[in-house]
Amino acid sequence: MKQIRKLASAVVLGAVVMAAPAAADDLVKMTIGQRGNWDTAITHLGEKAGIFKKHGIQMEMIYTSGSGETLQPVISGGVDLGLAVGTLGAMAAFSKGAPVRIVGAQATGAADYWYAKNPAIKTLKDTDGRTIAYSSNGSSTHSVVRAFIDEYKLTGAKTQTTGNPSSTLTAVMTDQVDVGWASPPFGLKELQEGKIHIVAKATDATLVRGQTIRVLVANTDTLTKRKAVLDRFMQAYREAIDYMYSDNPQVIKDYAEFAGVPEVMARRVRDEFFPKSLVNPDQIHGLETLVPEAVNLKFIPAPLSKEQIAELIQIPPRK
Amino acid sequence: MTDVAARNPARGVPPAFVGIASLVLFLLIVELLIRTDLISRYIVPPPSEIAASFWRVIVEEHVFRRFLLTATECLTAGVMITVIGVASGVLMHRYKLLQDACETWVAGLAAAPVVLAYPLFMVIFGRNAWTIIMIGFVAALPPVILKTIEGMAGTRKVLVNVGRSFNLTGPQQFWKILLPASLPTIFVGIRLGLVFALINVVGVEFLINYGGLGQLINDLSERYDLAGTYAAICFVILVSVLFFMALEKAERWLRPVD
Amino acid sequence: MAETGRLRQAAVAAPVISQVTLLRAAIILSVLAIWEFLSHSGWLYRDVVPSLISIGEALGQLLARPNYYYNLGVTAAEIGAAVAIGGISGMAVGLLLGANRYLSRAFENYLYYLGPTPKIIFFPVMIMWFGVGTESKVALGTLSCFFPIALSVAAGMRQIDKVLIRVGRSFQASTAQMVLKIYIPAMRHPIINGIRLGLGVALIGTLLAETKLSNKGIGFLIIQAYSTFDMPRMYAMLIVLFVLAIGANALIGRLGGLDSIKRS
Repeated sequence: MKQIRKLASAVVLGAVVMAAPAAADDLVKMTIGQRGNWDTAITHLGEKAGIFKKHGIQMEMIYTSGSGETLQPVISGGVDLGLAVGTLGAMAAFSKGAPVRIVGAQATGAADYWYAKNPAIKTLKDTDGRTIAYSSNGSSTHSVVRAFIDEYKLTGAKTQTTGNPSSTLTAVMTDQVDVGWASPPFGLKELQEGKIHIVAKATDATLVRGQTIRVLVANTDTLTKRKAVLDRFMQAYREAIDYMYSDNPQVIKDYAEFAGVPEVMARRVRDEFFPKSLVNPDQIHGLETLVPEAVNLKFIPAPLSKEQIAELIQIPPRK
Repeated sequence: MTDVAARNPARGVPPAFVGIASLVLFLLIVELLIRTDLISRYIVPPPSEIAASFWRVIVEEHVFRRFLLTATECLTAGVMITVIGVASGVLMHRYKLLQDACETWVAGLAAAPVVLAYPLFMVIFGRNAWTIIMIGFVAALPPVILKTIEGMAGTRKVLVNVGRSFNLTGPQQFWKILLPASLPTIFVGIRLGLVFALINVVGVEFLINYGGLGQLINDLSERYDLAGTYAAICFVILVSVLFFMALEKAERWLRPVD
Repeated sequence: MAETGRLRQAAVAAPVISQVTLLRAAIILSVLAIWEFLSHSGWLYRDVVPSLISIGEALGQLLARPNYYYNLGVTAAEIGAAVAIGGISGMAVGLLLGANRYLSRAFENYLYYLGPTPKIIFFPVMIMWFGVGTESKVALGTLSCFFPIALSVAAGMRQIDKVLIRVGRSFQASTAQMVLKIYIPAMRHPIINGIRLGLGVALIGTLLAETKLSNKGIGFLIIQAYSTFDMPRMYAMLIVLFVLAIGANALIGRLGGLDSIKRS
């Protein structure tokens, strides 16, 4: 009897030990929008390379298909972090008193590009009387298109919402919209096959180049009660970025597999569309234009004060 | 149900009053739960805030125009499912071979996520109201067909035999016996179909961010205007209220004796 | 004389392939032919209407990967739980509303008014209460299928032959006996149809929830395929879903003894 009991407790103990995560690892749950983009793959690639584990971080990543869904679980406390939340949306939630804070810049500038099927449309100047697409009202692509119209004086162009890159491509190929948008690696295959050609890149608008259009947000509970974990996460995040821009060929291989594209295309995505400055989380740029835009688009009722901004943006400093 | 009086929980009080009173009580409880933070106000805004945002939503967001668009899309889909659905149901009841072959497929269509095939619809119809109407139509067709078949199959033999005893022809039998007898069930089917149509119309508007009230809900929630989002949801409920009142009137007109 | 008749009957053997199967095959083949024609005609954008061969290839690749079955299992479990919870609560409410005219007049309209709202808009509330895992998807599926089942059962209750109810009462049946021996057996057709419709709505609700926020399940795979514009794979998954939905529907119908009452 005694032996059976000893055996039983050994089995139970063994099961408990095996089931529990490694002693030092802290679990960080996060929602991530726009799966498959280079700038949203940082956590996945870093995890594969063991960088986050090195800092004692274990992650649970849940993917979403919209900025709203990325933000809401952070607000309700279901996850610790939200990656790739629209800056305007984060401001809107904060201004209403929601318990979210910005803990990093996710995308400063944008890698999106605009393309056309019709060979007559070569540059933005050829869009007179034609339609330019953006995803939805208040999105980053909306900001870019408005910046195009302002900076290039495209008075004759009309804008139209077309949703995600797949719906946009369909709209362009069926002649419902003249100039569509996409985020690489989407559309690179069609570009290669000559079905479409690039008309403009988001960075062609000077305003966009210096704007942080998407951010990392955290629940205030995470910020106060798990500050040390958050600091380690951001350290690992920065290290993962360094790794992604190193010469290590493994990262291209892993990204190609993750995004479902050939390695050559994966390399193109990084080298042609995503400069390292784009993903640097250290600072939120372009507030002087982002805040008025938020007021204009009814995301916030009035501009945020200096104190409010200091409360909203709490980025763990780089060590 | 003959002994309603004996089972009447609140004898003498009109049922509509109890219904509304329960609704008000429910809203008050929700308001309380939110104010005491048991429900996060950043996920469900207090009903008082929602009520306060109605005027703003109406004026600033062109609600009336959107309301008309969504209602028209639903109406179009509703008319289509009624005409084609009932006709198909009658055909399938008449030709047993067709029914045996297709009934399970129709039932399966009811379970199929037609909404997820929206890229295909967009390619065929474009990114406009017709895509929305067609998805609503396809998704809402099965209940109408199934209930029509059920209604016709469930006609009491007595009635059918009476018709036969009067030597009614096929069409006469159909128009004078089968169809009137099946109307209650058919109307249940149309009601269910309209439910599906409305769900899919607003749902697709929400998903592809185009159209009337569904797009408004999406826009407002992306803007994190939660009170406005729920106010817009109330307008969606208003659309369904109007549809069902209209349907009730139509049913009473077609079947004056109940 | 009778013998001659019998012999003649025996000579006409039952057809090897039933007429039903023939008709079904004919319908399927025509649909496939129309699709392939559309794909090659170029009238519709080729990438969104891919050739049947590429869809077939994608289907083959899909079914060969164990990862697919894992995700299928996740979604199936979510839907099963949603139909079970939503079905039982829907039936209970439907029975109550159908049996009691007063309660019906007080509350049934609210079901009609709330029914047509697409439940996906309540998803953030589900996430708040149930977290970001599979529970919130089950919750949304349950919310979706509750309404059609409740309404169908309530309507079915009112159409039960009054004679049957009086028989039950004359035997002084208790409420539980009335429910189990009179109401439910009399309403087999509406209940089965209600569950079939509820299954459909639960499937759609669960899948949509997975497309909005998840890291597993068929909805997650579908949105992956669509966002990389891999349309053949997306169609392959939709086809499998459709076939499974038909199968589940037929199974429920068969289990509910629907065949036996169809002929009445």
